[in-house]
Parts: sequence; structure tokens; C-alpha cells
Amino acid sequence: MWKSIALGVFASGALQLSSGCAVNRATATVTPGANVGAARSYYVVKVPADQRGIQDLIRDGLARRGFSARVGVDPAPPPGVDAVVTYVDRWMWDITMYMVELTITFRNPSSNFPLASGNSFHTSLTRKSPEEMVDEVLGNIFDKARETK
Amino acid sequence: MNRAITAMLACATLLAGCATPTSYEAMVPSSVDTARRHAQSVGISVTGGQETDAAGKPQISDDAFRQALTEAINRSRTFSRVVQGSGGDYVLTVALFGLDQPSFGFAFTVKMETGWTLRRASGGAPVWQESIRSEFTATTSDAFAAVTRLRMATEGAARVNIAQGLAKISRLNL
Repeated sequence: MWKSIALGVFASGALQLSSGCAVNRATATVTPGANVGAARSYYVVKVPADQRGIQDLIRDGLARRGFSARVGVDPAPPPGVDAVVTYVDRWMWDITMYMVELTITFRNPSSNFPLASGNSFHTSLTRKSPEEMVDEVLGNIFDKARETK
Repeated sequence: MNRAITAMLACATLLAGCATPTSYEAMVPSSVDTARRHAQSVGISVTGGQETDAAGKPQISDDAFRQALTEAINRSRTFSRVVQGSGGDYVLTVALFGLDQPSFGFAFTVKMETGWTLRRASGGAPVWQESIRSEFTATTSDAFAAVTRLRMATEGAARVNIAQGLAKISRLNL
């Protein structure tokens, strides 16, 4: 009896894991009226529990686009910052760990109000590396900002 | 033994299911803590929503959120009326940011953040602008199927968000 149940649970789990759904989503939103393009200096707030260095990937992604970017753990930005960057990363396991979802938000440094946000979601079959995820999200935010300018 | 396995596979398949979009009716708060009812009218604009992919997670579309917000304003009388398009005294813009949804678990807690901006229709700087964060937890007592539970948690987070946003607006001196 217990053997049957264990086998059933294993088979159910295998079914869920092997259903093979490839879900891809990559979107960006810009607050109407927000001038994201005017921001030149960014401050990336490190998530305290983040041991994967996502904050550094975001900083590097911004620097590659010609912006000044620095990382800190204090949610209060240092003076002279045009936008604060926060992020939420989600990870899944499928043979290996991979980043399934990343949301990056640019915020007004004085009010914390969201100016723009990007989100990418890729399940296992179409997984991307953290570097690619960061690049995709940042790219979509700046593309959207240019569209809505 | 084979019958037990077959039954479990069938259950798993049924429970996995497909994501269904959130409904606007379920996102209308039953009550709003209204401090004052504004005599002015308002137009509504919602951005940042997503359509639901059947293979993904339930999302909130711009249209569903706008309808829920319209209904909530009409019920709470936060503004005298909601106008379609231009012509209102104020324009309320809500941008949907960061819908944080879990993938596993029995109790699903969904967190969301929205950016609310209220402007005079005649233009100028925002009269009020604030980020509203909300969350809602749906448990197995709400729905046994995970996709339904996640949808209910998402709708609940939007419901709380709308109630919080309108409560704050009702405290403004317009």
C-alpha cells in the first residue's frame, strides 16, 4: 500500500516536472510622465539575502549602457543619485538551479515611487543565464522608456 | 497498485490545470475606508497590466484592473463619478508594478505594488503620487487547486491595493 502511494507521488511529481511547458514573458512598464532617460546616476540596492551577486550584474549592465552605477545595502540612496534600482529574483531547480524570474524597478530617490519596471520570466526549457536575464530586463526598460518619451 | 498510480496521475493533472485570468469582479473591495467623498469627477488610466498565458500564472490586465477600480469608486463614492476618456476634473493613473507570485506551497501569498498618480485634468504637477503595496494570502481552505488558489491570492492582492489607494485619496483635500 505505502509502496503504491510512494510510487504514485513520485510519478505525479515526475509528471509535473516533465510537463515541458515553456513560458516566456519579457515586459516593461514606465510610469506615464516619468523621464527615465534623464537619469544618469543609479544606485542599486542589494537584497541582503542575495548571495548570487545580482546587484553587481545590474550595476555592470547599467555601466555598459553608459550610466554611472553603484551598489549599496542601505535603502536610503547617497546624494546625487538620479534613480534607485531595486530587484526581485526568483530561482527554480530543474537538474540545476536557474533564474526563472527577474523584476527590476527604477525608483525616484526622494519618494521611492516607481518610475519604470521590467520583468522577465523564462521557465526551464528556455532558461537564460542571470547575465542574460539582467540584460534583457534592462534592455526592455530602456526600450520602453524611449517608446513612451 | 496500478489503479492508485493512475488515480494520482489523474489528480495531479487536474490540479496542475491551466491558469485562468483574474476577474474584475473579484478585485472590487467590499468596502473602502472612505474619509470623505469628493464632489469632483475622475478619469482612469491603467498601465502595466498583463494578459494571462494559459501555461503561466494568472495576471491582471489593464482592463480588468480599470473596471475593478471604476466599480470600487462608484460603490465607495470616492469621486462623484468616473468619466470615460477626457472630460473629468481629475485623471487617476495607476501603473501596475511587481506582481510577486509564488510557485509552490499550500498558502499562496501574492504581493503587488502599484504607482498611483492623481492629476488635475487641466494639467500640471501631480496632486498626489504614492506607491501602494499590498498582499493577500489564499490557503487550501479557499481553493484546493493550486491555479485557482493563486488566482484568488492575486485578485485579493489587487482588491486590497484598490481599497488602500482609494482610502488614501479620500483623505486628500481636493
